[in-house]
Amino acid sequence: MKTIIRTLAICCITGLAAGCKKTFIQLAPVSNANAENFYKTKDDFDLAVAAAYNSLYTIYAPEGAVSYASEQMSDNAIVYNISGIEADKWAFKDYNLKPANTMVYQFWQDFYKALFNINIVLSKIDDADLSATYKTGVTAEMKFLRGLYYFDMVRLWGELPVVTTPLTGAESYGVLRSPQADVYNLITSDVKFAIDNLPLASAITVKGKASKGAAETLLGEVYLAQGNKASATTVLQDVYNSTQYQLLPTYASVWGPTVKNTKESIFEIQCIGGSATTPYSKYYQGFFPNTNIFVFYGGGMNQVTDDLYNEYESSDPRRDITIALGYQNGATFVNQKYTKKWTDAGAAINGGNSLAGNNFMVYRYADLLLMLSEATGDAKYLNEVRTRASLPLYGTASYPSAQYGTLALAIEHERRVELALEFHRWFDLKRTGRAVTVLAAKGKNINADKLLLPIPAIVRTQNDKITQNTGY
Amino acid sequence: MVEIKIANDQNSAIMKLETVFFKQAFALCWLSLILFLPSRAQETGKLPSKTITVTGRLTDEKGDPLPGISVQLKNGQVMAISDHAGLYKASVSADAVLVFTSVDFAAQEIAVNGQAVWNIVLKRQTKELDDVVVIGYGTQKKKAVTGAVVSIGYNQFKDRSFANITQSLAGAVPGVNITQPQGAPGQPPVIRVRGVSSITAGTNPLFVVDGVPLENFNLNMINPQDIESVEVLKDASSAAIYGSRGANGVFIITTKLGKAGKSIVSVNYEYGVQKVTRKVDMMDAQQWIQYYIDAKNNAWVDLGGGHQASDPNSARTSIYKIPDDFLTNPGQFGKGTDWQDVMFRTAPSNNVQFSVSGGSEKTQFLFSGAYLGQQAVLDRNYYNRLTLRSNVRHKVSDKLTIGLYTAITGIVDRTEGTQGKSDVISLGLQSDPIFPVYNENGNLGYRDPNSTWFKYTAYGDLNLWHPYSLTRFIDKKNKSFNTLTSAFVEYNIIKELKFRSSISANLANGKGDSYLYKNQGYGYSSLLNSQASTSANYMLNWLIENMLTYDKHIGDHSFNLLAGYTTQKQRDESSGATAAGFPNDLVPTLNAGTTYSGVSSFATEWSMISYLARLNYNFNNRYYLSAAIRRDGSSRFGENNKWGYFPSASAGWIVSDETFMRRVKVIDFLKLRVSLGVAGNNQIPNYGAIGLLGASNANYASMATLLNGQTILNIANKDLRWEKTTQFNVGIDMRLLNNRVTLSAEFYNSITKDMLLNVPIPDITGFNTQLTNIGRMRNRGFELNLSTKNITGKTFSWTTDINFSRNRNTVLQLGPGNAPIIYTDYVVNVKTEVGKPISNFYGYVFDGVFKNQAEIDRMPHDASTKPGDPIVRDASRDGKITDDDRTTIGNYQPDFTAGLINTVSYKGIELSFMLQGSYGGEITNQNVRYLGWWNNGRNMFEDVANRWRSEAQPGDGKHFRATVANTGLMSQYSSYWVEDASFLRVKNVRISYTLPARILAKTPLKNTRVYINAENVYLFSKYTNYDPENTTYNATSYSAGSNGLAPSGINAPSGAFIGVDYGSYPLPRVITFGIKTDF
Repeated sequence: MKTIIRTLAICCITGLAAGCKKTFIQLAPVSNANAENFYKTKDDFDLAVAAAYNSLYTIYAPEGAVSYASEQMSDNAIVYNISGIEADKWAFKDYNLKPANTMVYQFWQDFYKALFNINIVLSKIDDADLSATYKTGVTAEMKFLRGLYYFDMVRLWGELPVVTTPLTGAESYGVLRSPQADVYNLITSDVKFAIDNLPLASAITVKGKASKGAAETLLGEVYLAQGNKASATTVLQDVYNSTQYQLLPTYASVWGPTVKNTKESIFEIQCIGGSATTPYSKYYQGFFPNTNIFVFYGGGMNQVTDDLYNEYESSDPRRDITIALGYQNGATFVNQKYTKKWTDAGAAINGGNSLAGNNFMVYRYADLLLMLSEATGDAKYLNEVRTRASLPLYGTASYPSAQYGTLALAIEHERRVELALEFHRWFDLKRTGRAVTVLAAKGKNINADKLLLPIPAIVRTQNDKITQNTGY
Repeated sequence: MVEIKIANDQNSAIMKLETVFFKQAFALCWLSLILFLPSRAQETGKLPSKTITVTGRLTDEKGDPLPGISVQLKNGQVMAISDHAGLYKASVSADAVLVFTSVDFAAQEIAVNGQAVWNIVLKRQTKELDDVVVIGYGTQKKKAVTGAVVSIGYNQFKDRSFANITQSLAGAVPGVNITQPQGAPGQPPVIRVRGVSSITAGTNPLFVVDGVPLENFNLNMINPQDIESVEVLKDASSAAIYGSRGANGVFIITTKLGKAGKSIVSVNYEYGVQKVTRKVDMMDAQQWIQYYIDAKNNAWVDLGGGHQASDPNSARTSIYKIPDDFLTNPGQFGKGTDWQDVMFRTAPSNNVQFSVSGGSEKTQFLFSGAYLGQQAVLDRNYYNRLTLRSNVRHKVSDKLTIGLYTAITGIVDRTEGTQGKSDVISLGLQSDPIFPVYNENGNLGYRDPNSTWFKYTAYGDLNLWHPYSLTRFIDKKNKSFNTLTSAFVEYNIIKELKFRSSISANLANGKGDSYLYKNQGYGYSSLLNSQASTSANYMLNWLIENMLTYDKHIGDHSFNLLAGYTTQKQRDESSGATAAGFPNDLVPTLNAGTTYSGVSSFATEWSMISYLARLNYNFNNRYYLSAAIRRDGSSRFGENNKWGYFPSASAGWIVSDETFMRRVKVIDFLKLRVSLGVAGNNQIPNYGAIGLLGASNANYASMATLLNGQTILNIANKDLRWEKTTQFNVGIDMRLLNNRVTLSAEFYNSITKDMLLNVPIPDITGFNTQLTNIGRMRNRGFELNLSTKNITGKTFSWTTDINFSRNRNTVLQLGPGNAPIIYTDYVVNVKTEVGKPISNFYGYVFDGVFKNQAEIDRMPHDASTKPGDPIVRDASRDGKITDDDRTTIGNYQPDFTAGLINTVSYKGIELSFMLQGSYGGEITNQNVRYLGWWNNGRNMFEDVANRWRSEAQPGDGKHFRATVANTGLMSQYSSYWVEDASFLRVKNVRISYTLPARILAKTPLKNTRVYINAENVYLFSKYTNYDPENTTYNATSYSAGSNGLAPSGINAPSGAFIGVDYGSYPLPRVITFGIKTDF
């Protein structure tokens, strides 16, 4: 009996002792790291910087914000059947957006999530015990991305809550929409910092990271959007003269799953195909017509309009490189135009997904040349682009000047066909002030107010001090 | 409520029903009067001729003194009450007849006959009030319970056929709303004790199995036939002993143990049949083809440019084309295929149970084994379960007792159709009726390139997700194994002081495998390559408890003191992988694949330390007091708030034992209860307080190099703590009219504060939400339980149980500025705002259909509106149709629920039937998104055939026109999706027959019963889909294993969408034939 009591006593005392330790209820997460101890070493920052770059996959996704605005809201593309909430997706092409549109809200979240991943790096790096060179380099990369995103956002929504540091929930209620000029000031100062501190493309060891040329091209477009052609000229000329970039010999050679980071590329989103666990390319599948007849599901995004198809001059080789007329279904050919710029027909397929490898260029040299013509009024750069396409040069007799009688119209036309479906068209029309004219003529239910998206309803439910854009 | 009491009273003859009801009603009215009026009954009896003083001692059969026994004259006049030593003294006439009465003892009469000393031994009555009720960390007599505790004994669910005990309790327990979201075998019900107490945190109650508290435990792991009783702790005072886990209510499950005496061998066999009896009315091929043609033509004409409905395909662009066969010879499709008939079948089940129980004074045991083999109504689905149990308790010495309870359960199942929108059942409804079950090549679908049906693949809006392509061309199997074991020692240090120590463990392992055959018989919406996936999980939960209890009686005072200390820890692990690129379908395991994805493993832990103490006190078995406190420390909470206190107090008063009540003969028992307590809710993610880093969606690439990334997943909150629910409860328990009427009523008011809320914060932070303690919510309600013994004859008896519950849920406070919270999932919005119940359905109101253009012009409308489109109500009355016109269009929570059980028995035959009703709730039929208007050519609800076709054919005024390009907000979430969820269900009908003893006398069999049990017998409901209890979203839970549709919306808790049905599994009717015999 005594032994039993003793055993019992021991059991319960050890039980008590084991439990009493305060550490018993202080458990560290097993499968995630604790953010508390992060942002200290170079390795930490390399990881955080990759996460910031990762947001490019979302912002420039086939169904991302930039895609919807630039192509769906333009005359280049349309969607028919598309999975998800069709009404909210159709609203872009129909200019029938409402504040409660779920896609608009998704885009809003995407951008600010991306900005958080940038701002957290910027806010932590100053205090990190790392070399000044590394810190400046990382800061410049982050500011380039931040400038790029705010430029997209200001063109989508106009006035914006400007966030430059990680905010707590409580702090965020005090951040209201700033005038567009303030947003542009931030963009300009961020991108200028990037220009001053980023290496030339040729000096970049990790391909795909932001370069000085990328930042200059961005700043050039920012200046153009503000109507500042003089400043745009300076900065774009600098890229032109840097000898870092050139046009590839043919238009066809610009495209393909293995064509990566060429001399034509100025800023390029990086993808790795063939594996479901790496960031594979979603453009091929996303832009394929919405059909289930293949082993992957076509996304049905940005289906090409006849209007775009007809924009090409009849001898323009770029048309058939850009647009597929349809697809084969057994013995039947289904007519539905889609873009084949990012086609990777041989890509491995996993679980209904095509694991394609194509990168996506945010800026390429042809774009820069056309912007340079726009900034300088000099057709020389435009004609470099036409030369590659083996088309009559602007200013020559065989140029279709009946249709494109001014340099501005010639640039508009050239940008549309050269950069078709590369997420530029609607921004270009907005920049040149031609959006309402051009799109209304094509039957879009558009007016000046509709050149900005609504502020999502939920944003204003949470903070009623946030104003709405006119017309919503 | 099967219990039969053979009353030996005078009115044993069978009375007419009317008389009984009349009497009861009258008695109730009268009772309410006397409850509130002081007793003024006056006795005017003649004075006795000669008075003597009678004294004596009252004892029970063990010789223990009995205090509080009333000594009365025959006329009810109380002459004395026995004191704590059982002594009494009364002056009465020498020829008086004295009656000794008490609730707990059989009344006894003596004729004084001049004798001055009468020592009486009273016989204890075994009444329900003496039943022992299991409460947290102990037991109590039912009479002594001062909180809101409901006890359900084995007899009340013995013949029911559910695999999960809580399913058998649905509709029977007031204040406990148990609904069955899906009808697949093994699907757990959604349980809400006294309303829903949280917006973001989990809402499942705590399950305590043989003393082991288990969060989010799968009760399918416990064989219901092994269960002795289930106690539900409804109010915060009784649940507070479980501290930070008690706020959602507590279910205490106690398994059986044998009794001293001859061993009982019990064998039970059941054969069951399940059948879907209520189908969704879908269009047949002809109706659907008409719809398809209309939708294409209307949209084509809408395009303008002189388009005509008569334009041939050659003139139309692709999405407006119509298959020629639809126009030229639709008759060839006949009525087409009813895909519900294809996927559902009449499914049998077999259930075999075997148990041996018994023991001696020193040792008691129960060994049991059961095997349930159940096919599901859904093709190729099944649920097989083996449970084994061994409960042993042994008295080593007078002071020392040890015990070991072990249950092992294995479940092998295949369960599909519960994931809603893209799962078998929903897809079956969406599939177009024109396609045959098999094509001419014996394949399933039109994607077979060698079939004449292949031509239809040219149309992107013809749909077939053949049920067999998912059930027969994907192999699936889940295996789960669970061991729950608990060992204890009890040691009586001194007579009154007992020490108990226990160690328990719950170990769960599971594995799931699936293999998808290449092309799936051409029956699926696309031709997929073969793919295999596997997943495994492991969970270990251990618990050490040390308890001291001290029992003391001093005179009329009784004390029971409890002090305890417990530690508990759980670790969950899971892993999975998917492989593709199989060369052929010969080998289904992952090794045969060539590309791999979704390869991961994951682990998570929580731990808890608790101290608890409770005092139960009673005076004279009449006044009861209970006070308890628990202190919990949990790993889940923030650095600054690891520990919390959960106090409670309650009191009870047995009014009927008071002198002034003794003469109120109609009342046999009356107890008043009041309680106040604080319980917590800790159901949040294990690391909710910590800012976590994650690597998913954080990597970048450079050429062929992967650049690893990491990012912050959530905002840390060092102050995070549990939700606290403070609940006040008053209750009354009564027995009337010679115990023939039992009434129990409760009122409660409960306030949850510091809600664990994933507060939506402005997205400009980079996050949608932050887990914070903020906000308050109220649940207030009333519960009533009335049991009557209408007829209590020796051979014939009839009892009725009625229960009624009403709960009102109101949000009192939310995050900053009380900003409402709107969650959206697949078009459906739910909105939570201050002053209203949580999760109101939020959308447009449709007021019918525009008949013509003139009507459109007269009213505010969306710019895209055409005749035949819905009339959208201008709820904001600003003359425009905008987002602001969205308003509250319903809520899932019912106004009240009620249950009615009638049990009639005649000799060995017992018949019982149960009705269950719910009134005043709404349900969102999310299938409307697919089946209520054009959504890429899916099949439609049959009602849509009554749509607007033209001004001359306006249809039923509810269903708008067909068009492939939706206009006029027809595709928005609106009142068109919301239906009345009120229902009345014949929930259960049972007939059993106990074979007479004389027949069995010559056999070794004792106690043999045969029975038929029918569940879900008939449903009265107007709901379009299968069942108004259906919801595709489960209660919020942060543990693994939730089997419902997870909201796609970021950070939306699934519980916010309870009451939204996106193609759920129907609840079948189940009829079971059983025989049970003891040796």
